[in-house]
Amino acid sequence: MSEKPITSGHSRRDILRFAAASAVGLALPGGLSAVSNAPVAHGGPSGPLRSAGVLTFGPNNVLLVGDITGATIHAFALRDKDLTSQTDLISGNFHNFEGRDHVVGLDQKLAALFGTTVDKIVISDLAVHQPTEQIFLSVERGRGTDAIPAIVKVNHGQLEILELDSIPHSQVSLPNEPDSKAMLEFDPQQMYAITDLKYYNGEVFVTGITNQRFASTVYRIPYPFNANMATCTVEIWHPVHGEFETRAPIIRQVIRELNGEPYLFGVYGCTPLVRFPLSVLKDGAHVRGDLIGELGYGANPLDMLTFTSPADSKDYLLVTIDTRSASQIAVSELASAPPQPTGGGIDFGPGGLGRAQRALPIKAEHIAILNSKWAVLIWRHPKTTYRLDLSTLALPYFFERKDGMSEMNWPNGPDPFHYREHRNELSNQ
Amino acid sequence: MNAPVVCQLTLRVSSASSPHGPGSVSACCLGPDLVAFLTSCARPNELLKSVFRVTVAQVPSPEGDRLPDVSGRYLLLEDELGFIPHFPFERDVKYRATFDPRPLGAPLTAESLNLEFFIPSEQKAPALTEVTHIFPSCDLLPENLLRLYVCFSNSMQRGRALKEISLLDSHGQPVADALYRPPVELWDRSMRHLTVLLDPGRLKRWVGPNVELGLPLKVGQKYTLDIGSGMIDLHGRPLRERFRKDFVVGDPVRERIPVEHWKILAPVTASRQALVLMFASPLDWALLQQTITIESADGLVIDGQVVVDQHERRWSFTPTSPWVTGVYQIRVGSGLEDVCGNNITEAFDRPLRKGPNLVTRINGSSLIFQLI
Repeated sequence: MSEKPITSGHSRRDILRFAAASAVGLALPGGLSAVSNAPVAHGGPSGPLRSAGVLTFGPNNVLLVGDITGATIHAFALRDKDLTSQTDLISGNFHNFEGRDHVVGLDQKLAALFGTTVDKIVISDLAVHQPTEQIFLSVERGRGTDAIPAIVKVNHGQLEILELDSIPHSQVSLPNEPDSKAMLEFDPQQMYAITDLKYYNGEVFVTGITNQRFASTVYRIPYPFNANMATCTVEIWHPVHGEFETRAPIIRQVIRELNGEPYLFGVYGCTPLVRFPLSVLKDGAHVRGDLIGELGYGANPLDMLTFTSPADSKDYLLVTIDTRSASQIAVSELASAPPQPTGGGIDFGPGGLGRAQRALPIKAEHIAILNSKWAVLIWRHPKTTYRLDLSTLALPYFFERKDGMSEMNWPNGPDPFHYREHRNELSNQ
Repeated sequence: MNAPVVCQLTLRVSSASSPHGPGSVSACCLGPDLVAFLTSCARPNELLKSVFRVTVAQVPSPEGDRLPDVSGRYLLLEDELGFIPHFPFERDVKYRATFDPRPLGAPLTAESLNLEFFIPSEQKAPALTEVTHIFPSCDLLPENLLRLYVCFSNSMQRGRALKEISLLDSHGQPVADALYRPPVELWDRSMRHLTVLLDPGRLKRWVGPNVELGLPLKVGQKYTLDIGSGMIDLHGRPLRERFRKDFVVGDPVRERIPVEHWKILAPVTASRQALVLMFASPLDWALLQQTITIESADGLVIDGQVVVDQHERRWSFTPTSPWVTGVYQIRVGSGLEDVCGNNITEAFDRPLRKGPNLVTRINGSSLIFQLI
């Protein structure tokens, strides 16, 4: 099959299936390198974790953890006693866009709990257990090879360390992880071995890179884990760079069903938004995704999620970005957006859906949807740069009024949004 | 109370690894009543969280919020209650342990205990430091010896040389005013090599100290350079043992270094054999390492390794690449001296010049050898 660039807007995508996958090193001898349902007793609250990376929830209260050092995906089947409903918590004043700080000085409190200093605390990810609205954090104490991983949950503002060695656990190893000494120009390759993790319809989708020629990889792993893992490699046309790219990984992914077909949407560094129908992500396949949006150069995505707007009841894709405002794109456009042409010159964009994106005022290190009206985020406000806070932020504008300065803040100022009528109107939803 | 109290309630830190993890803090000598009470408790952990608390002592509290305590668990062992942190105590972080048994109830009279502690980082210090060499390495040294080098196996600290280093006579008595006491100890950049000078004023004839006291060393006498074990290394430790160098004093050397009389043992062309220079009397060990270079006919400095041995009377140079045919220059820098401070143009100790003090300095000397 040809690797010729597609120059039309036709929705055709190249699926380069290799009959002899070993020719390009895609084959996984014997399928999975290891599947284990027995807890690995490392002892202590770290349990079987060797590092604590991306988090997501699977079915039946299963917390999935990406462990780069262990080249492993862990599944912890949380028991009822591991979860405490937080739905009684007041999230803030929704009408007035005033969120609440659930944990002030999150990094300082984690340091105290872990018996260390704040510079040794790394918060890798944040996930919300939707039924209980309980927030889980993946945390490491230490920044070196001796870092100690842990999962921390937030219980009514208090931080509690999960005793992972007592929680039913299964795990699956990922093959061909990058060598721990292999470098990119600026970072170790291993940093990107597991970039994101999502559960959809009986499968765990893992994005990241391997040590193979086409490094950018999507794994589909059945859950409960078994040996039938599918591995495919993915490539894109990256307009900002004017080239096909097979190594740069998907940084964040979202899986959504649109018009009856499930898709994986991936966002990359510098910042292409790419669509893959799940039907083409088959074991051994090398797949070119449809580039449907170029969100802007010089940016790294931090989180990607979808939410339903309480204002218009429509669904939106949200991508938070390190160097500028977050992007919001209507989910309804994701399936129908035509693939951008490939093979042109360097185009700094924005392009495709990037031209329709709306900028949202979010500066969050991590963000997740808490419930139908609130998101929860870990952030460092300019007024309080010395600490990280865990706070709520009202949908769909993601605007925190109490941190701003405006005419309306004067006691006798104008009140075009009727803030005064709703003052002190706290709610948990 | 039935049983006598055998010891007083105290807080104790253990940095040793135990089966429960590295590091713990314990409340010891609880007494039988407290032990019995804790044993009978249905959920002692919940209760103990407010009784036996460990916190990080240095972390400032954000916005007046109370910071959480260090996460850990409790272990009751006979008369002792241990707190084992979930994550090992971090070295050099200061912690505060408080034990306040009063909420536990009536029979207890104990007061609250406080302990601030930290577990210092393990310094992987090298083996104890010792003197490895003293140069000149020869046991027979000239009467007008100027300089000695004391070499240590690790980097050292300043400040002890005056007290610890002395020159002893054959009866073991210090020779008065023999060693020069510089205002700053003369260490090299690595702090492993100390230069010890004999008083130059006594070595130079016709200058004050020499006129008054004479030469510090006497021909035919035995001496000992004594390095006391109180020299302190970079890790703050004394030497493994004291070190003594015994030597006998021979005739003085009061002439320039006769470069033209050096014996040259030329290597074989196309080999990497060493080029060897032999000297009639010992030259300065440290200066020999850096003042002699080999240049090819086109003026390029040849890269290679220098070895000084045979009591600093042999200098060997092994090139990185094999020798090629051609004429080579052995360039001797003007800084080269022998053990008495004589250099390649003049003696250290010479009669005062008569007439205008015009000194002609040269940029060194050179010898030539040819490989065919």
